[in-house]
Amino acid sequence: MELAELGQEKGFAAALYDSGEPVPGSASLIIDTHAGGEEVKKAELKRIGAEVPHFSLILSSCLGFATSRIASWTSRPEQVVGYATFFPLKEKKVIELSAGLRTQEGAMKEAEALFRALGKETVWVRDTPGLVFPRILSLIINEAARSLDEGVARAEEIDVAMRLGTNYPQGPLRWADQVGLDEVLAVLEGLQHETGDDRYRPAPLLKKMVLAGWLGESSGRGFYVYDER
Amino acid sequence: MTINENLIGIVGAGTMGAGIGQVCAQAGFETLLYDISQEFIDKGLARIRAFLRRGRERGKLSAEEENRILSRLSTSIKFEDFRGCFLVIEAAPEKMDLKREIFQKLEAICDAEALLATNTSSLSVTAIAGATQHPERILGMHFFNPPPLMALVEIVRGEQTHPVVIEKALDIARRLGKTPVSTKDTPGFIVNRIARPFYNEALRILSDSDADVQTVDRIVKEAGGFPMGPFELMDLIGIDINFAVTQSLYQSYFHDSRFRPNPIQERMVLAGLLGRKTGRGFYTYGKD
Repeated sequence: MELAELGQEKGFAAALYDSGEPVPGSASLIIDTHAGGEEVKKAELKRIGAEVPHFSLILSSCLGFATSRIASWTSRPEQVVGYATFFPLKEKKVIELSAGLRTQEGAMKEAEALFRALGKETVWVRDTPGLVFPRILSLIINEAARSLDEGVARAEEIDVAMRLGTNYPQGPLRWADQVGLDEVLAVLEGLQHETGDDRYRPAPLLKKMVLAGWLGESSGRGFYVYDER
Repeated sequence: MTINENLIGIVGAGTMGAGIGQVCAQAGFETLLYDISQEFIDKGLARIRAFLRRGRERGKLSAEEENRILSRLSTSIKFEDFRGCFLVIEAAPEKMDLKREIFQKLEAICDAEALLATNTSSLSVTAIAGATQHPERILGMHFFNPPPLMALVEIVRGEQTHPVVIEKALDIARRLGKTPVSTKDTPGFIVNRIARPFYNEALRILSDSDADVQTVDRIVKEAGGFPMGPFELMDLIGIDINFAVTQSLYQSYFHDSRFRPNPIQERMVLAGLLGRKTGRGFYTYGKD
């Protein structure tokens, strides 16, 4: 949604579509923001590929999957570029992008141009789930969630300690609430799945909270409780 | 023997000991700085004097305040002088045997009501206290470097620490002008544990060639809003120090892969590329 608003602000004919909604066949650029949920994301990309046969670029969130994997779900993997960013997009100067093994240069140039038009710089990094910043922050949040679950300290204390003890701009648990716990879990599960490395296994508390629908600020409750909105 | 409710003892006049001593003296406490030799004490005092002088030169404190702070500091190379302290904070090297011995000696000298705290960042408070007769009055007070500038103190409760001791320590930390948080005695406590992935995952990204040093630091600052990137920060802390903390956590968690150190760190330490202090780490620094 943030992307569509930013696009309209900058004069693009951007429109938002929900899962399953038909997308006009004339669209040239498609942005897919699903972080996790393999089945849904896969089905959406297949469907859109059929409805919009002449797209020149699919920009797809690679928070939870390697771009090469996402590209394998489309009819034209050459046109797929991955991007990874955590909410809020507004304050970010830089957007991380990644190409799949089969991504063509034309699509890469187009992705760069799009973000330039939206007022963002771009950086290319290699193809892994979560790229650089979401990957690092998700692991910090995971360790904070484990510490909380083990009773090392209370949520407020963990957040104060990380802000004052090591100058983090925000406490990791408050930060997780802002980003959305489902997005954080998507990065961790993606890394665990793509690498097979145990270091990425999500904290059981994080999984349970996502299942309970406690996703953070957006749902009124995460590690903290927010006002009804 | 009566207890002096305004006298704090510090074991060790190194970077942390001297810094904590300065914090105590600045907060108005009589402070006794101990080390095993006059040479170490003189070094510690020189560090405190230099810190205060810079503060005065920048207009942060007056010459009068500076003198008052220095007048509250006394020094000793005799352990018996800790008698009378209501709190002793140990900031000796991070060696378990040494710390256990220090607390046995403190226990024999200090009043039964005195609080005995360790500033350890990587050892178990429970294990240190285990060597004493009264582990219930032993706790962790973990300050961050440099103590006069960092607001946080982790108040660590060992398995046997009495809750009243924790309450008292929280109160003392506030009187020292710090923000205390209370934590269980688990490896790395809060900060050193949760901060591990900031370094470890950046190193993993580098060793996998997913992104280079400059790119990672730029993204973490410009997309993440961190004041410093992980590689800049490792260069500042010292790659050897950072590697030692990671190794300590890795061992304490019985080789959990979440804490696994990276071969890049070891290679840089072996090469003597330790960061800013050697002129080269992940970045190269000019001679100044």
